[in-house]
Amino acid sequence: MRSYAVQRALLAVVQLAVLSVLVFVLTSLLPGDAAELRFTETLTPDQVARLRGELGLDQPAPERFVHWLGNVLRGDLGTSLISGGPVVDIVRNSIGATLVLTVATLAVVVPLAVALGIVMGTRENGRIDRVITSITLALSAIPDFVIAVVLVAIFSLRLGWLPATWVGGNLLASPALLVLPVAVLFGRTVCLLSRQVRAGTINALHAEYVVQARRLGIPRRQLLLRHVLPNAAVPGVQELARTGDTLLGGVLVVEAIFAIPGFATALVDGVETRDITAVQGLTLVLAVAALLINLAADLVCNRLVPRTALLR
Amino acid sequence: MTLVRVDKLAATAGSSILVDGVSFEVVEGEVTALVGASGSGKTTSALALLGEHGDGVRLGGRVEVDSRVVVDSNGVTGEAAAVRGRVVAYMPQHPGSALNPARRIGTTLRELAKLHGGVVDEAIRAAQLPGATLKRFPHQFSGGQRQRVALAQALTCRPKVLVLDEPSTGLDSITRWQLMNELRDLTAAGLGILLLSHDLDLVRALATRVVVLDAGRVIDSGGIDVLPSSPDLPSTGTSAAGQPLLEAMSLSASLRPRGRDVVLRDVVLAVRAGACLGVVGRSGSGKTTLARCLAGLHERHTGRILLDNEPLPVLRNRTSEQTRRVQYVWQEARGSFDERRSVDRQVARTAQRLRGLTSDQAHAEAVATLARLGVAAITAARPPSRLSGGELQRAALARAALANPDVLICDEITTALDDHGTALVLDLLTELKNRGTALIWIGHDLGLVAAVADEVMVLDAGRVVEQGPPATLTTEPHHDLTRRLVTAARIGNPESPPVLTIDPRSEPRR
Repeated sequence: MRSYAVQRALLAVVQLAVLSVLVFVLTSLLPGDAAELRFTETLTPDQVARLRGELGLDQPAPERFVHWLGNVLRGDLGTSLISGGPVVDIVRNSIGATLVLTVATLAVVVPLAVALGIVMGTRENGRIDRVITSITLALSAIPDFVIAVVLVAIFSLRLGWLPATWVGGNLLASPALLVLPVAVLFGRTVCLLSRQVRAGTINALHAEYVVQARRLGIPRRQLLLRHVLPNAAVPGVQELARTGDTLLGGVLVVEAIFAIPGFATALVDGVETRDITAVQGLTLVLAVAALLINLAADLVCNRLVPRTALLR
Repeated sequence: MTLVRVDKLAATAGSSILVDGVSFEVVEGEVTALVGASGSGKTTSALALLGEHGDGVRLGGRVEVDSRVVVDSNGVTGEAAAVRGRVVAYMPQHPGSALNPARRIGTTLRELAKLHGGVVDEAIRAAQLPGATLKRFPHQFSGGQRQRVALAQALTCRPKVLVLDEPSTGLDSITRWQLMNELRDLTAAGLGILLLSHDLDLVRALATRVVVLDAGRVIDSGGIDVLPSSPDLPSTGTSAAGQPLLEAMSLSASLRPRGRDVVLRDVVLAVRAGACLGVVGRSGSGKTTLARCLAGLHERHTGRILLDNEPLPVLRNRTSEQTRRVQYVWQEARGSFDERRSVDRQVARTAQRLRGLTSDQAHAEAVATLARLGVAAITAARPPSRLSGGELQRAALARAALANPDVLICDEITTALDDHGTALVLDLLTELKNRGTALIWIGHDLGLVAAVADEVMVLDAGRVVEQGPPATLTTEPHHDLTRRLVTAARIGNPESPPVLTIDPRSEPRR
């Protein structure tokens, strides 16, 4: 167990190193730069060149990378090329809304998906299984923006129960702001997650060890909760990590429709304005988050079913 | 005191009978042994004590455990659940896979102790496990220790009857001797033991009552004197001497026209009804071509193939009766199924076309045969793409078996199967053999072939280089290739003769 954790953590460090290079290289490949895009209409080419020098854009890429990485390690993600403020502030301002949305969605989805998955798995191909499967599949098949528009039309415009946008809203004052975005994100995530739990449950139910536990007289309820669930949870936890990644990355459609000042919006703004330092910072934060989530998921899975070996 | 009374137990799956009229008793402080070859119905009979049966299997007759009726003529009763663990504890054949990888062994032991009023410390002492191991997970034990853990689990239930399914499989002689002494101690403490085994020495040393099963029927019962004196179990195939059922004479085959690229040279073979001919050799030695010649699929061949002394033409010229009589199952099971139709329908189709059954009859039989091979009806109702390779391999076998063939050619049909799947396949093949079907079993794992076949033929570069009974071939190989195959079959198990190991790991071909 301990050696697995150590191995997995070392792997994460290696991933982190590769990732920092990738983030830097990929963001550098964006066509055009801030100096060009922002000022071509007002400045002469000479002035643009001087501006590049001031922004450090004329340095060779490897030097810029070392400089950037050094700052990152000190917790400084650089200065936005557009606003001139620290990139850390951009991250701080955008990540709050996304985090709240992610946590709220998972808090609704996880218990429900686990329950549905077990109900479906224990009634494999029964009527209940098929009904739930149809409903969740249908929900996940409808595009986010369709659900969003329909929900807004009904609950905000016609009934006036729930706010349609976050503009001018304050989360702490009105948690109702969360209801519609979470409802939109709910469909797909609950479907994916419950499918995995269902498959895990079916596999565990057919496993020799569950058959043997039943033969030794362990009652059904106990069998499901203590013998089946830990094994069935493994694919669920892995799917949960993927869902977490996706939600943290921000779901652009949802942010756009509800005017949520979230991560995806910040990222798209950065790309549009060629604010490379901002894009680098945001991407790095996102990637590190994904890495940590997957690290946590792997450790949890290994705790659930310890035989999973990383390196053989 | 009689703890278990089984009277005329029957188990049926559709129209096939797995167990018929089996009766035995288990008495306090004594060992009752169910003896028989694999597929004789030992495990089916023993699991009936728990009211357990496979998918699509119906139990009948009467099973009484500790004066509760577990099975009556209507099947399993509601009492069965109360018996599990508390009265009858079952130790499966491969106890290693019966331990939950997600739980520390102490957790499960304590759970069982609480449930059934046992004492963990006593159980682990009786199972000879060191007490400090309770915090470990199953993967932290060796194979032999896992068997101990499974035994400890069974003993923690404080059962009155312990069922042991082939407990000596894979044990070295010292451990086996220890096991024997432990079982003696357990019976001395008043436990009734039901021992399922084909290890006759173990049975002789322990049992006071012996029931010999064959193809689901009791052929003898009494004290240990009913055991055959030879170390082998009675081979019950219809080994009636006489004409071979299928014969091939100077069979040669080539890949290209006019005898270029010869892959098979002057092969002579003969198989009697109810016998099994094993064919081994390396990849490319001509095994599959030989099978395809016999099945009538390889047309570029010379020589004669006779079925019941009549010439057997190539497949497209065979009558439907000839097609029914000679069936071929080959390794690429997936390619042999139509992607768009459900597997069970395709399996049933053989019985409709070749035996003239109605669609319903054929379907019922298909489902039953698939169920006994471990492919559940709901799985088989799906199209082939939804089935695993192992499931399709078994479905392909079921499809051929539904023709009621007289000759069944099996070409590496266990490559995708685990031990359990292989055992199910061997069960079915044993039954077919007993019904008089001649088998031709092709493989490159000499260990498995030797366990299945009555006669083994070694092919090298299209020629038969050695032929003989498996025991002779594996103990005194003459040809160099045979020697190498024997050595290969012993890898990982150097002490035991390869005949005993059923190793499902075979390299996938091409």
